Amino acid sequence: MSETKYLETHEWYKVDSDSFTVGISDFAQGELGDIVFVTLPEVGQEFSKGDPIVEVEATKTVAEAYAPMDCVITEVNSNLETEPELINNDPVGDGWMVKAEIKEMDDSGMSYQQYESFIS
Amino acid sequence: MSELKTTSLYDFHLSKNAKMIDFAGWSMPFSYDGTLKEHHYVRNSAGYFDVSHMGRLRLSYSQIEEINYLICSELKNLENTKALYSIFTSEQGTAIDDVLFWKFEDDLILICNASNTNKIKSHLEINSITYEDLTLTTDLIAIQGKNAINIIDQIMTIPDKFSTYKENNYIYARTGYTGEDGVEVMIDTKDTVDFINMLETKGVKPCGLGSRDTLRLEASLPLYGFELTDDISPVEAGLKWTITNENDYLGKQIIDEQITSRNHKHLKRFKLNAKQIARTGTICRSDGVEGIVTSGNISPILGYPIGYVLFKSNPSDDLVEFDIRGNLVEGNLLYKRFLS
Repeated sequence: MSETKYLETHEWYKVDSDSFTVGISDFAQGELGDIVFVTLPEVGQEFSKGDPIVEVEATKTVAEAYAPMDCVITEVNSNLETEPELINNDPVGDGWMVKAEIKEMDDSGMSYQQYESFIS
Repeated sequence: MSELKTTSLYDFHLSKNAKMIDFAGWSMPFSYDGTLKEHHYVRNSAGYFDVSHMGRLRLSYSQIEEINYLICSELKNLENTKALYSIFTSEQGTAIDDVLFWKFEDDLILICNASNTNKIKSHLEINSITYEDLTLTTDLIAIQGKNAINIIDQIMTIPDKFSTYKENNYIYARTGYTGEDGVEVMIDTKDTVDFINMLETKGVKPCGLGSRDTLRLEASLPLYGFELTDDISPVEAGLKWTITNENDYLGKQIIDEQITSRNHKHLKRFKLNAKQIARTGTICRSDGVEGIVTSGNISPILGYPIGYVLFKSNPSDDLVEFDIRGNLVEGNLLYKRFLS
């Protein structure tokens, strides 16, 4: 499995051969505050890079997570339907959002070090 | 952009790792432990809020007639130890600001919204009412919660509900903005940190403006700039109970007409039958009448989204359809408060 990469729109993703897992960064969850509801896509839905794939409702505001590359959804984290706070508590672990099959590989995200300097 | 104002507790907030936000020209704590946790501190125990950004003006008792003419409530005939929630009305009957008066034997303390402090000061000046601005020399700390009174009882005399008191270096009233019992205390800036530390040792938790907003919404309390504006009257905002002024006052004619005609905008409470939040600005329709959401958020206690919506006229149906970013979501108007 390759390293966790980050996007300027504050998602993280991790490529595992022909698929990836995506969620939002610890910085993003901190900025959003308490997450109270998540709208997840359907398995089989197709997205292009930059499309909104997940809608995140927090007490402070609503935000979207975007597809890091062209993909087809293969699995969603259904635990988030009853425990959206998993994203606050463990954004890069149990708070993952979706897994997807890669249609066109684009591994151009930032390393953690690059992302850290991007947000600071 | 001009520099943000800070309260005397700014360094204290930073030492508590508060998330700070810009609010009405002030850098204020949004949250410390998280909005939902802080919401529950207040509902289940007790929390304190730094609300020193709110304007505090000392008014002379000798001008009570003139002040009474600018608000829709009866202040003049109120007992001298009472607190009063009221609204400064314009000539058009709309809200200039919603405020608290703390009435004492010798003076009055007027507490206004931070965003309206300058507007209220000019309004008073135009009407030849003198004031002493205490906003920067004092702080205002709200202690609120289910156990707030039990805790505060160890520090100061507890007045009756909606009553005022002066004791030692505290000027305060048993008022609040969360739906829970508690007091709001005005204190010299030099004494505030000691006071806060005393509250902390008694288990009162710091709470930010994020939870103040979810608490006030759940308690069915309006927020100026949202449920009340320069374009919304107390009648339209469903605050007819504040209209108690027995004398003539600014905007009285239009307000009286609205009470009898019912031909005006109508602010309603709603709940959503879904998990999405209908936020400020969301458009909705009920019975062909268009409305716009003024405030909306999740109710942490009820577990579903709630809010206020302003309709152009009174819808006769309680079913509402909200357009939340292109998705139509159903909700219901509520005729009772969110929390019983």
